Amino acid sequence: MDKSEILRIVNGVFIDILDDENIVLTDETTANDVDEWDSLNHIQLVVAIERQFRIRFNSQEIQRWNNVGEMVNSISAKLN
Amino acid sequence: MQQQLGYIYDRIETLSPMHSKKLKKNMAFFDDRYLELADTFFNKYTRILQAQNKTLDYSIDCYLQMIADVNSETIEFLRTGKYTSSTFDEVNKRVYARPETMEYYMHGLIMSQFLWRHHYQMFNYFITTLPQYVNVIKHYLEVGVGHGFYLSKVLEVLNPESSITAVDISETSIALAKSFINDSRIDFILKDIFEFDNHKKYDFITLGEVLEHVEDPLKLLLKLNALLSPDGVLFFTTPTNAPAIDHIYLFNNVDEIRLLIKAAGFQIESEMAILSEDVSPEKAEKYKVAVLYGAFIKKSNPTN
Repeated sequence: MDKSEILRIVNGVFIDILDDENIVLTDETTANDVDEWDSLNHIQLVVAIERQFRIRFNSQEIQRWNNVGEMVNSISAKLN
Repeated sequence: MQQQLGYIYDRIETLSPMHSKKLKKNMAFFDDRYLELADTFFNKYTRILQAQNKTLDYSIDCYLQMIADVNSETIEFLRTGKYTSSTFDEVNKRVYARPETMEYYMHGLIMSQFLWRHHYQMFNYFITTLPQYVNVIKHYLEVGVGHGFYLSKVLEVLNPESSITAVDISETSIALAKSFINDSRIDFILKDIFEFDNHKKYDFITLGEVLEHVEDPLKLLLKLNALLSPDGVLFFTTPTNAPAIDHIYLFNNVDEIRLLIKAAGFQIESEMAILSEDVSPEKAEKYKVAVLYGAFIKKSNPTN
């Protein structure tokens, strides 16, 4: 699966969990750009993304992401 | 906003913007009473830190370390539906017997008393309800004294002639509580509550967020039932769905707690359940968001 496809699926998870149809993610998007992306929702996003891609992150990875692109890179590394 | 509080919020925003968003949502619920209490509290706390050559920055780091722990425990909880530990031995090795872990954990918890809306609201419920029982309290017992904040406020409410006993299994907790409260009226006892018996009956017992730390909460409530005088009152709090490094007993919902109260021979005088996040009840259920439950309960059969 290429990274643009991963980003598209991740975008769908964000829309579902944050309940906002208008979210459009790019690699550079951070929590500062998305109002509802707070610590509670971050945890829900992590678990929903794990389920969607049937992968598991470790806690270091989760804390290291600075933007969506880094999250997509982590997913890509686990899938490929 | 008061100076210390403003500094804490700004520093957390710098260090953890995502967590800061959650805290800012809490702030919408805080009133003048909160600002006054929090200000007094943080001034006192800062003086205690200074006496130990520590700063407020140290405590903020402790708090964020605790939040990081809670976040990883929550992710695991959402994956498995269980807490990561289920026995006292496990959490004893992991937390209680490790002074460095206890140290940051206790300071993190102290900060949460005024940074988490549900902690503040539950405290408010307790301290505004307690006065209706004050005239019948000759002997007061607190089990699991933690950082001592509840007890410090109880001292302001109780009659001066009431006896006050505080039992805790942790030396770190007792030391911290003593630094908060310098009052000779309190008899601090370092002991496992299951081994505590001074042949006295208590008119009021407080048990703040302890049940989730024991393997058999029914056994603990039965023990406290035995320590209460016939018309005595127990105030306790415990959360549902609240993963933490030292939580071992999972309450899935408030009804499970109510069933436990009944099974231990108590009836509810009054109760309060507070969601730990500012979300709709539907979202709270879907996401298993923690609820902090507190209740004033009495023996259902006072002759026992």
